[in-house]
Amino acid sequence: MPMKITNEVKDTTIIITLDGELDASSSVVLDEELANPEIMKYSKILVNCKNLHYISSAGLGVFISHLQRLEDAQIKLVFFNMQDKVRNVFEILGLDLLMTIVSNYEEAITVSNE
Amino acid sequence: MLQKLSTVFRFMLYKTNAKSLLVTIAIVSWALLLANVLFSAESAVETGAMQLAMPYINNLLIIIFIVSAFLHQRLSADNLKGIDFIGYLWNLFSKAGVAAYLSVALYLSYRLITGYANLQLPLLLHLVYMVNFGLLVIFLAKAFYIWRQLLLYHKNKFLQIAWDWFELLLFATLLLTLLNFDYTSYVFLPLLALLGFYILFLCTNLKWVAYLTFNNKTRSLVLLGAILLSCYIFARFFYQLADSKDLVIDITDIGFLPLAMVFVGFYTLAAFLVSLFSLPTSSVFEQKSADLLNFQRLSQSIQQGQSETQVYDMLFDSTIKAADGSAAWFELVRNSEPQVTHLLHIGSEQIDRIRHLLLAYNIHNIDYINNNLDRNPGFRELVLPWKSLIILPIKSKKNLFGVLYLLKDIEQGFDRETVNVLRTFTSQTILTIENLRLVSESLQNERYKEELKIATQVQESLIPKTFPVDSWFEISTHAVAAKEVGGDFYDFLQLSESRIAIIIGDVSGKGISAAFHMAQMKGIFHGLMQQDMAPSEFMKQANSALSRCLEKTSFITSSLYIIDYRMKGFVFARAGHCHTLYYNAMMDEVFYFQTEGMGLGIIRDKSYNNHVREMYYDYNSGDVMVMYTDGIVEGRSPANEEYGEERLLYMLTQTYHLDADDIKYAIINDLEDFTGPDNLYDDQTLLVIKFKTIQPKS
Repeated sequence: MPMKITNEVKDTTIIITLDGELDASSSVVLDEELANPEIMKYSKILVNCKNLHYISSAGLGVFISHLQRLEDAQIKLVFFNMQDKVRNVFEILGLDLLMTIVSNYEEAITVSNE
Repeated sequence: MLQKLSTVFRFMLYKTNAKSLLVTIAIVSWALLLANVLFSAESAVETGAMQLAMPYINNLLIIIFIVSAFLHQRLSADNLKGIDFIGYLWNLFSKAGVAAYLSVALYLSYRLITGYANLQLPLLLHLVYMVNFGLLVIFLAKAFYIWRQLLLYHKNKFLQIAWDWFELLLFATLLLTLLNFDYTSYVFLPLLALLGFYILFLCTNLKWVAYLTFNNKTRSLVLLGAILLSCYIFARFFYQLADSKDLVIDITDIGFLPLAMVFVGFYTLAAFLVSLFSLPTSSVFEQKSADLLNFQRLSQSIQQGQSETQVYDMLFDSTIKAADGSAAWFELVRNSEPQVTHLLHIGSEQIDRIRHLLLAYNIHNIDYINNNLDRNPGFRELVLPWKSLIILPIKSKKNLFGVLYLLKDIEQGFDRETVNVLRTFTSQTILTIENLRLVSESLQNERYKEELKIATQVQESLIPKTFPVDSWFEISTHAVAAKEVGGDFYDFLQLSESRIAIIIGDVSGKGISAAFHMAQMKGIFHGLMQQDMAPSEFMKQANSALSRCLEKTSFITSSLYIIDYRMKGFVFARAGHCHTLYYNAMMDEVFYFQTEGMGLGIIRDKSYNNHVREMYYDYNSGDVMVMYTDGIVEGRSPANEEYGEERLLYMLTQTYHLDADDIKYAIINDLEDFTGPDNLYDDQTLLVIKFKTIQPKS
């Protein structure tokens, strides 16, 4: 199942929707997306994981590698609508302590406005 | 080899023998014939009636002479091979054609003698006639078989059969002579007509003419003309003396000879005319065959292991020849920088000016033809000695390899035909260059595969083959890699007599870099654990060590266990690795240890220290510990479902009473049932430890 990545911009917020499986090949596309200098002009990045069925270590590596840079630029990274088994992967690795993972969009908006 | 040689030698000997025998027969038969004719002539002068004595024997001698002469030439002609057609013609003219001129000289000298002395010398006339007859037969035999060689050039089966029948029929006419029939009678007219048409048909086989170059055609015209003249001389001589009252013999009565003469004459005439009329077009064919040869050279350059430079050399030379260009240059594009590598009759200053102009016109690395440069004001200003220009970029869909510029000093220099040929050259070149690169790429690929093989071997050597066998626990391991080099690893280290450290882990990513990180992790494990530190401390130090060398997107998950069987307990820390599955025999309960712990290399500073915890646990005999990597729980079914922690836990509740080995096999078999065969997405590693009561040492 190929990955589909779509962006939606609302003011200073960009919502990235991940659709499919984030494996070694699709994580390259995601990496390009996050490495784009354009991304730095937003203050919030909300990642919709509703249709994210699987995340590989390469996919996790992409988020991990950009984490510090986004934090330094004071850009909030929030994941929402995450499926349980994907969330489990984040938790096992301890990423839930570093990244903000919330259950839905409204919560994501609230959390990111704090 | 020797035997073969001797056969060939014997065959040659046989052939030489046969040839000399035939020559002897021919000479003897001719001499007998001459004697008979002279005898008859002598007696005729006395009796006054011109009649030949013993006509049948005479005819027989003639036939023997003709047949032996023809057979001799038939054997000789086999030596002619190859496509040196001028050589064939020269052979024919120098060895047989001149016979005609000799015969003329003979006859003229006879006339001179008789005319000067004003007397009749019938014996001398007969001698001249018979010598000329001999020369004619030799000429015909030679011409007949050399024409056969040429006629059958590029033959097919039909033509070969047609020729064989023609030869047979022709020799069959000798029977008429033997039986002293008059071949001109009406009875034989259909046969003659048939043979005539047959000859006409055979004369259309002139494929060899097409292979002559312009120069060779002019030379062949001269030779063919001379041979044609020889035919005429012979024909005229013998027809003039036909039915002569001064002669006892008339060889025109032998049907075979006029027929052979008709064939030789017609074929010579046909070859002469075809050569003459194909003369204007021969340069075109020469060009075409040169082009073909060059195509062939281009396409063969891969097998010959030629370099790209040599291919461009070939392209440059071939296109200039094909287009008859007056000037040209070739730019090789390296790293999108053009660089002039080939020049012909043009200076670099002129090139710069033309390039400048083309850039101004925005003509850059595209197909472009200008057949009238003078009509363009920009080019007119440059005052170039050329009137036509073609630009041929050598490019594939992805790459631009180079650009070829050809110039000609005439208008309309690049017509459609020429451009087609040039385009074929360039596309062949592109193909060749791409193939050359593919070949070198696949060679590199081979090398890469070889390296991967080494990496796999390295990795295999990193994983311990045997665990220490001890009485207090059983251990069983399973490890498969999804690709050549995986990211899973495990290891152990005996810390003291009663303590053992076991590590399991997974490096993110695949391939050679994963293998290197694995090796690093193994080094860190053995290095740090020499100091016998607590698992959480180990994780902190390992994180700090890895932070300095791990790529940004890479991280490692790991769990470290230190088992102390004297204390009947173990302490462990988890760094982002899968939760450990455990069966407690006393409580009869299967569960996962839910401990906190972040993967290594995710946080690369001191704050990591807050994210790792360790846990101490007392074990009982009969307890089972299952360590594994995510390849196990993330195993996929054909319906894309994950194996999951639930199912793994359920498997242990069903199998905890078995030996460690059997527990492992049960889990792996169940996993394989779930995923189906050949459905390996990720490396799979599974370690099963079953604790036992300490046996008293005996």
